[in-house]
Amino acid sequence: MNGESREGLALFGGVLGVPPKALKSPLPASRERGDTGGERTSDHMQRQLVAGRPDAWMRLEFNPIPTCPGCQEPTATRAVLDVLEEMGMEGEAILVPGVGCHSLIPFMLDLDHVMSAHGRPPDLASAIKRVLGRGAADRALPLVFTLQGDGDCIAIGAGSLVNAAARSENITVLMLNNVNYGTTGGQMSPTTPLGHATSTTPGGRTPDYGYPVRVPEMLATFQGVAYAARGAVNTPANYQKTRAYIKKAFQTQMAGRGLSMVEVLCSCPPDWHMTPLNSLKWIEAHIIPQFPLGEFKGP
Amino acid sequence: MARGEIVIDENFCKGCGYCSKFCARGCIEQNGDRFSPQGYILAVFAHPEKCNACGVCAWMCPDHAIEAYRLVEAQTTAHS
Repeated sequence: MNGESREGLALFGGVLGVPPKALKSPLPASRERGDTGGERTSDHMQRQLVAGRPDAWMRLEFNPIPTCPGCQEPTATRAVLDVLEEMGMEGEAILVPGVGCHSLIPFMLDLDHVMSAHGRPPDLASAIKRVLGRGAADRALPLVFTLQGDGDCIAIGAGSLVNAAARSENITVLMLNNVNYGTTGGQMSPTTPLGHATSTTPGGRTPDYGYPVRVPEMLATFQGVAYAARGAVNTPANYQKTRAYIKKAFQTQMAGRGLSMVEVLCSCPPDWHMTPLNSLKWIEAHIIPQFPLGEFKGP
Repeated sequence: MARGEIVIDENFCKGCGYCSKFCARGCIEQNGDRFSPQGYILAVFAHPEKCNACGVCAWMCPDHAIEAYRLVEAQTTAHS
């Protein structure tokens, strides 16, 4: 990669107050793909990598991820990257991020991506798929998927999403749902569950403000949607299930069956005014009961 | 039991505490003794002898600061 983009990446470290030159990772700086990270710790023991940074993160410069402590959007992104790595599709994938906190993540990935206008990733992804689509199974490749927040996906981008679903575009929509507008300070979003306090509903959302939108359930009613599921990453078990949902969504797209959609519930501790550990308990106790996990439409 | 060890990148750790919460064996502690360059309370791999290399801490770390390794016997060469 060239010097300019390195400087651009170094900005993220500068934002967090760490001079980029001071960063020295104890992890091996250049791990080849498929390398197990084997390294002798003593004369008779050897290290084998079990879990670590996905390769798409490994290949770039080391800078801390520019999200708040406890934000689970990078965890959800890790699930996506793990699936891509497992399927060997990293070179065939095109990511279309929307606007939100997660917009910074694609710039730290060694993955093709096209930045879209606010709320319009399904439109752009449809265009990319129609232009570049190839393969026997109804233009199976490249693998085009969007990464959107809840505000991006169902508030400003509701029209794009619904029309892409109605047209049965062969793309995958990944929605990271942190149940508020995290970037702008935690205002109420269409997916805020009842009883959840935000900066615009300090006493908790009541039916006076309407009811939350359940996106996978809504999309499951469309004939053009082939797969709709909701996962969470608040526990290791839910993380694994979410990974399986994302893999199924990608396989649905590669089989050319139509639009596939996975929603991932993420915590947002600063905007929920909770500690990171309390935010996970809040997801388990108050959000999952209103947003049930599982598959709503499957192949 | 498999033996393992983890490496925590102290420049990446933001002290959210997810790793110490989800480590089933209590290998990771966050007791406020050590701080990152950004001022976050660091997670510390305090009990390496308990680790069985499950990798859950690395999955759950939102900042991708942890790499988990399994320790295996090194393969012996032909002449030894």
